[in-house]
Amino acid sequence: MTKDAVQGAAEEADQAQSKKGLKKQQKEAEKAAKKAEKQAKLAADTQSTDEDDFAKDRYGVPQMVQSQQKLDRVLVRVQKLTPEKADQLIWVRARIHTSRAKGKQCFLVLRQQQFNVQALVAVGERASKQMVKFAANINKESIVDVEAMVRKVEQKIESCTQQDVELHIERIFVISQAEPRLPLQLEDCVRPDGEGDEDGRATVNQDTRLDNRVIDLRTTTSQAIFRLQSGVCQLFRDTLTNKGFVEIQTPKIISAASEGGANVFTVSYFKTSAYLAQSPQLYKQMCICADFDKVFCVGPVFRAEDSNTHRHLTEFVGLDIELAFNYHYHEVIESITDTMVQIFKGLREKFQTEIQTVGKQYSSEPFRFLEPTLRLEYTEGVAMLREAGVDMGDEEDLSTPNEKLLGRLVKEKYDTDFYVLDKYPLAVRPFYTMPDPNDKKYSNSYDMFMRGEEILSGAQRIHDAQLLTERAIHHNIDLEKIKSYIDSFRYGAPPHGGGGIGLERVCMLYLGLHNVRQVSMFPRDPKRLTP
Amino acid sequence: MPMYQVKPVFGDDIKTDLPTCMYKLPNIHAQRSASGCSEHALQNGTEVDPAFRDLEVRQDNIMRRLYELKAAVDGLAKTVTTPDADLDQTVTSLSQSPTATSFSGTADLDSLLGKDLGALRDIVINANPARPPLTLLVLHAMLCQRYRVLSSVHVHSSVSGVPAQLLSCLGPRHADSYVRQRFQLGFTLIWKDVSKLQMKFSIQNMCPIEGEANVARFLFRLVAPYPSDPALATLVDSWVDTAFFQLAEGSAKERSAVLRALNGTLGRDPWLAGPELSLADIACYCCVLQTGPAASSPANVQRWLKACENLGHFGPANPLLQ
Repeated sequence: MTKDAVQGAAEEADQAQSKKGLKKQQKEAEKAAKKAEKQAKLAADTQSTDEDDFAKDRYGVPQMVQSQQKLDRVLVRVQKLTPEKADQLIWVRARIHTSRAKGKQCFLVLRQQQFNVQALVAVGERASKQMVKFAANINKESIVDVEAMVRKVEQKIESCTQQDVELHIERIFVISQAEPRLPLQLEDCVRPDGEGDEDGRATVNQDTRLDNRVIDLRTTTSQAIFRLQSGVCQLFRDTLTNKGFVEIQTPKIISAASEGGANVFTVSYFKTSAYLAQSPQLYKQMCICADFDKVFCVGPVFRAEDSNTHRHLTEFVGLDIELAFNYHYHEVIESITDTMVQIFKGLREKFQTEIQTVGKQYSSEPFRFLEPTLRLEYTEGVAMLREAGVDMGDEEDLSTPNEKLLGRLVKEKYDTDFYVLDKYPLAVRPFYTMPDPNDKKYSNSYDMFMRGEEILSGAQRIHDAQLLTERAIHHNIDLEKIKSYIDSFRYGAPPHGGGGIGLERVCMLYLGLHNVRQVSMFPRDPKRLTP
Repeated sequence: MPMYQVKPVFGDDIKTDLPTCMYKLPNIHAQRSASGCSEHALQNGTEVDPAFRDLEVRQDNIMRRLYELKAAVDGLAKTVTTPDADLDQTVTSLSQSPTATSFSGTADLDSLLGKDLGALRDIVINANPARPPLTLLVLHAMLCQRYRVLSSVHVHSSVSGVPAQLLSCLGPRHADSYVRQRFQLGFTLIWKDVSKLQMKFSIQNMCPIEGEANVARFLFRLVAPYPSDPALATLVDSWVDTAFFQLAEGSAKERSAVLRALNGTLGRDPWLAGPELSLADIACYCCVLQTGPAASSPANVQRWLKACENLGHFGPANPLLQ
């Protein structure tokens, strides 16, 4: 019909146009007609094949899982896909990490946590053309159930963690569809620093990552970091429990600030106000006075310091230890350092893959330590700094740059990333710190350092109510406010000491990362309250 | 041609009430009127009273004489307490290098190791547990006799499963070890995966010292002065090299050659470098025993090994010798 219309129009314009122009027009018209015909044919074709798609029950988007049925289906972990499983038909639930269609084939990378495997849908006996097309069109990050045959591969697949096998997909169902556009790409998140700049590829900055934390946490690096962090907690608990410690839970809403009033959060508490605990310090000590002997506590700690640095958070997880000792507070130091060494050893043994995974993105030297832990005295530290040309007073506190420099000097001489600095000047420590019996200028207190940054601060506490009162007066502390604390030492208190460790800092420094936000799942700092 | 003399505009003895919060300066008018320029400069140069200087010189003299007296008494005490020490040797070395032997305690270490920084001087030694440095253990025991030494043994994270005897090789912990300031010298032995034994002392001024022989030389100088005679000092050094390169690491052929040389030398002298025990004896003793059974050595060597054992310095090394 179109052809006729075109011919009619041509006849009308016959006189005006030359013969050449007429021929050209005719040809064009024929072309258009052919194209239309072809399209119609293709549409009809696909319709007809749609109807006789032999594999149409092998793929698709099933009903939302509302627990309608309980299948006896075993879902194999991606991690377990090894050559031993070759030529078995298995089910896997995983995310679509990437997909790449190529003619009659479609390659998928299926990811499950930090492991991934290559999967293949190819047109053949089991899969139809439509199925391949469907597989290629599944959005990234969607969750799929896949039934597939495990096949050994001749060449190792370098881009996957399961390098020796691939999956030949026979069925594929989308359990949860992801939106087509992701706020950030996972590949951009795991690219090592500097590599993106060279290739001109995108890198994601910290804030974007934290804004889309849920997606960022899916990266192999994040998965490894938080698995390791869980390991630190686990090892901390196990080691201390084996040493006969008791885990306690302390209130986080407290009536008075424990260390200095400046950096506490105030919360309204019915008709009065209360504070968020800066440390379970007072409660740990009360437990010691209540004969618990050795206690530890894992819980949130709040600091209202308005410091936007790479190592400060306003809420973090504190690992706190307090124990009664017999005669010398070094018993406490030894107990804590031994716990730390056990944690380091445990991480080295059990979390080697995680350490390596993080190392791929953020390379750093392996963590080194000595057993027993090196203990230096404050005066020695000052002497080392002075030898290096730092000008500082005997009773001056270590500034952050000096702390780092001292860390480097100690590393150079002793080759350890972990050490204890003992006998701090009394003037720079809180009022409950026990003074040194030999020299009134110093105190029985200590800090522990990892890679030159402080992770623990502790001391022998004053267990004598009278001396405690004296020291509190010396520090101009209102005795009324800490009355209940001082009173707990009036009825017999054993000598004791302890310290508190920041979980995030330990993880950050163990892995040699540069920002504490990387090791905090949902970090809180003066500028961030979400997600 | 004389110039006009002008009377001062105002007298230099005007009394004014100056505020106390300001710097005081001498009255420039008074100076000018009192003396000429050249005289003034002279006065500045000799501000110190000559009487004071005399007094200082006299005091220095007295102190020096006291030190000399103390040194002589120390030397005598040494000959009385150690029977095989040679009186002449002590006296000569005393007169030649008084700083090395005449003082004891902290003053001594100050002169040997540089100025006191008010903290423990810690010697760090990184050793491979596969090759325990016996010589250094012997020298450590000798250091302990002379100084208050804080010894500690650590295991670096690069090695694991270090035998218990290596962990206790520096003897039991000192009762005072919780106060590091009470010690003159720290001796920190770290078992670590190193290809060559390494000593780190003053990281600002010294590069790490590699090789057991070199560390042994350093430590021995803290215990006793090296022979002042250059020939003798070189002889000691050469024996130490022989011990570590040919006895400890050499082939069977080289070893037997060294044993023959030892035998010859020990036929003439009681010790390897003359009449006194030296580092040469300590190094060779440890290397001979480390490499083979004592029974297979020549007669003079065997006698010398016995003599070494009798000295009692080698106690700490013995448990580590199979």
